[in-house]
Amino acid sequence: MSWSYLWSILFISLHAMVPITLTAVGEIFGETAGLFNIGLEGILLVSAFTGALAAESGGAVIGLLTGMGTGAIIGFIFSVINTYWKGNQMITGIGINLFALGFVAFGLIVLGAPGFHAVPAESRLVPIRTPVGSISPIILVALALPFAAHWFLKRTRFGLILKATGESPEAADVAGIRVNLVRLLATTFGGVLAGLAGAYISVAWIGSVTKEISAGRGFISLATVVFSGLNPVLALLGGFIFGFFESLATWIRNLPGSKAVPWQFIAMTPYIVTLLVVAGVIGRVRFPKALGKPYIRE
Amino acid sequence: MSTGIPNNRLRLLERAKRALPALTPALESLLAGIVGLLVGALIMWIGGYDPWKAYVALFRGAYRDMYGFASSLARGTPLILTALTFSICMRAGMFNIGAEGQVYGGALAAVTVGYFALPSGLHIIMGLIFAMLAGAAWSLVPALLKLTRGVHEVISTIMFNWIARFFAFYLVANVLVDPIRAEKTISVPASARLPILVHGTDLSYGLFVSVFFALVIYFLLWHTTAGYELRAAGLNPTAAHYGGINSKRTVLLSFILGGLGAGLAGATIVMGLPPTYAVYSGLPQLANVGFDGMAVAMVGRNHPIGILIAALFFGGMNAGGRMMQIIAGVPLEMVRVVEGIIVVALAIPELVRLFRFFRNRWRSLWRREPA
Amino acid sequence: MKRILTLLAVVLLGISLVGMIGLGNGKVAVVLDVGGRGDLSFNDMGFKGTDQAAVDYGLEMVEVQSATAADYLPNVRNLARSGEYDLILAVGFLLTDAVSTVADEFPGQKFAIIDGFIPDKANVMSILFRENEASALVGALAGMVATHFGYRYVGCVLGIEIPVLYHFEAGYRFGIDWGVKKYNELGLAIGADVGLLYSYTGTFSDIALGKAATEAQLAQGAAAVYNVAGPLGIGDLEAITEYHTAKGTTFGPPYYIGVDANQDYLGNGLHGIASGMKRVDHGCYNAVKSVVEGTFHGGIVSLGLAVAEGGVSISKLQDLVDFFAFGVAAGAVDEVDFYTTLANWSANRANIPPEIWEAVDELEAGILDGSIVVPTADSVQEMQAVRAQYPLP
Repeated sequence: MSWSYLWSILFISLHAMVPITLTAVGEIFGETAGLFNIGLEGILLVSAFTGALAAESGGAVIGLLTGMGTGAIIGFIFSVINTYWKGNQMITGIGINLFALGFVAFGLIVLGAPGFHAVPAESRLVPIRTPVGSISPIILVALALPFAAHWFLKRTRFGLILKATGESPEAADVAGIRVNLVRLLATTFGGVLAGLAGAYISVAWIGSVTKEISAGRGFISLATVVFSGLNPVLALLGGFIFGFFESLATWIRNLPGSKAVPWQFIAMTPYIVTLLVVAGVIGRVRFPKALGKPYIRE
Repeated sequence: MSTGIPNNRLRLLERAKRALPALTPALESLLAGIVGLLVGALIMWIGGYDPWKAYVALFRGAYRDMYGFASSLARGTPLILTALTFSICMRAGMFNIGAEGQVYGGALAAVTVGYFALPSGLHIIMGLIFAMLAGAAWSLVPALLKLTRGVHEVISTIMFNWIARFFAFYLVANVLVDPIRAEKTISVPASARLPILVHGTDLSYGLFVSVFFALVIYFLLWHTTAGYELRAAGLNPTAAHYGGINSKRTVLLSFILGGLGAGLAGATIVMGLPPTYAVYSGLPQLANVGFDGMAVAMVGRNHPIGILIAALFFGGMNAGGRMMQIIAGVPLEMVRVVEGIIVVALAIPELVRLFRFFRNRWRSLWRREPA
Repeated sequence: MKRILTLLAVVLLGISLVGMIGLGNGKVAVVLDVGGRGDLSFNDMGFKGTDQAAVDYGLEMVEVQSATAADYLPNVRNLARSGEYDLILAVGFLLTDAVSTVADEFPGQKFAIIDGFIPDKANVMSILFRENEASALVGALAGMVATHFGYRYVGCVLGIEIPVLYHFEAGYRFGIDWGVKKYNELGLAIGADVGLLYSYTGTFSDIALGKAATEAQLAQGAAAVYNVAGPLGIGDLEAITEYHTAKGTTFGPPYYIGVDANQDYLGNGLHGIASGMKRVDHGCYNAVKSVVEGTFHGGIVSLGLAVAEGGVSISKLQDLVDFFAFGVAAGAVDEVDFYTTLANWSANRANIPPEIWEAVDELEAGILDGSIVVPTADSVQEMQAVRAQYPLP
């Protein structure tokens, strides 16, 4: 295997990593503040759809912003229900996923191209050329953001406040923190990042939206959050490990001599590797005490 | 009594007032249903469809006659079981997303009875047992990973779903493959099929398997010590720990019970759903049964009896949706949109209060306007 | 004279009135498999053909999607129970058992099924395609192109492992082998060996996997990638486009080879060199037509390369024109791009020596007159036999 192959695999992995890492970092904010959003898959799907439509009429940047806006709206609805209205986070998330699956497919049918909508080449995000291949600018965002997020969560006052609302909302409340507002902001921000990830899929990575474009990446992100133990830098690593082994598995399956092993077993490897890493290295992770519970003032 | 209402009538009113809180869940569900249907109607209207026609077709298709009712029940049968898988672990304080993969395992295990020849009754039991064992075995690994290595069940079950998917692909294409029709596995032989309950529909005795399992779970969770411990661990893990409840046993029990249920769900599909009685390549009849079960579990409030009702509702939405697209020409996807909104609306415990709040606001606005 | 004209007008009016009464009440239903519409191949083509027939014959058409395979039987049965449909068309082999069961329950109801093998029922027309024949043509093209431009491999990205896809793979393998040999016979240049890179992705929906698989094949030197996974072709083409952008090339190899529909027009026709077309739309159209004209019959209808059959083919100019209109209707392309697309496509084709195109025609003629037999496979064993015969390392 020559060096150029390695570069190719690396670049494919980086592209595959982006949606997982972005979504996971966003979810880390939400979970740190105590909200568990299983509806990430749905946010990815809907924002990929709206992002593609907006990019078509207004260009790539508008598309990405629309995706983020869509994520923000869904994240906002999710958090209002689960903060001020004391709703059940699990039910809300599952509902969002169901809704998204139906809504995007329905929307594509109404638009006249059921199941598929292409983003024209001129409305796509222009990749950055490097001597060894081209990369999407969002990759840089996905590489930098976890470190910024880590700094924000661990080193700033706001990070502490976020942590306090997730660990002990009662104490935070006593200390004068507006628990529900903090949670609302954190989860809405999580929605924004998931929205960016969704729009990235359609506007920058694949260039089209289909009714199943997210293909389970929201759930993989959820697993990545658990993998990271709410550490954004580990989420970057987790997203990369998954992206790398997924790309490697695809790569190996397309090698001429790979047919000695049934392709299904090679396709399993990214999932097995992730499990092994977690079982062998990461082990038990600790979550905020109040995760998943609405805060009700006594 | 100055009001002039007889004493016994007053007492009746009192009693009715006290009964109201118990009615709240039903009222909430009703309100959520209405919200879902209204938002769905709005989206349909924007998309250029006739919502009224669609809903009439949907509800007629789902519940009007025996055929529709049986179709709804048939569609709901496996969902009852996967919903139980999710809710047992939820009751024990764990988040088990693994039903999907366990359904694949159960279905393929049930198919293997095709290699044995047995009298009918035994053959069916053998299929059910195989499926339960496979489901439980697939569920056991995440449980053991959790107990020995501390691997969170969210990771392990999501990964196991994918591994199960590819492993199932392999088995369907290479091992259990039908020698004449390579697009599917061998079919479950007639002697191992769950008989059709209502002639001319796809409702089989699988329904009884589901309902029976739901009742067993209800009994186990609410009327045995082990079940009490399981629920206690979910309600307050710390207290349960100090109360001497063995958390390892709880984890194992809930995952194994869940796996049994998901495995059975796979069995009710391949042994109970006509006409193929086999697993197709690509798993088109198994995909999403596990995930839809999560929604059913949440709507049914993680209670076996609630799940039975919720499954009838979800089954009805899907069975009715088939008629909706035939009669009103509305794409089937609309069903998921409505389901999604209903589920979201159900998440809001104070929906009734919010409704009253906005109603009063509205009224006060209304009153002020003439002035 | 005037009276004759009047009489003629009355008669014509009468005929058309009768015609409208006779046809205007007709109804057809098309049941799609779980892929649903938007797969850009199978289901969309089935919809397109039935829709066209409904318009041409003044029929009402109902489209029925299936969320899961558990819906197939109830969907087909619901339609048959209503008794309102002149024809129920099932698109996809997954519906075979459902159609077979309901056909027995409602012997008076006419059915047609695409890709499903139901040979022995008077009320079921079972429409099968010889996908291997079209795949052999694009395979020959790919093989020759690879040799001509000095590429080591040709590629193929497939979906879920099902027998229908074996037909494609078997034909493609045969075609590559034939093409490489032919090229060396022609003596155009010294041809090296051409191998096949292929993978079953296990999905008909995760487009990212199609892109990644194509990227892997391109990096190893594939001259063309054949999409046999419906929507995944979007990802395949995306990878090819990016490859060209990175290399700074506009035309030439590596090429994209479309499937089922003509997909040459996608991406402004820059990289789509040809498509292995499977005219599900023709199959559906003809089934409806046969019912209207009273020539419907049960049993197998096998459609291959012959023009009269209209089953499968390698894409030609007219197909580009037709399917561009289809793409416009579906919102996939913009009407104003037609002439650029046509120019790009023609430039790409002209870039390949005419001898290669003539050789493709020769293979087509050979298959048609029976002198060349393209292998096919319906099971893993048969597929492995074909792989052993044409290993293409």
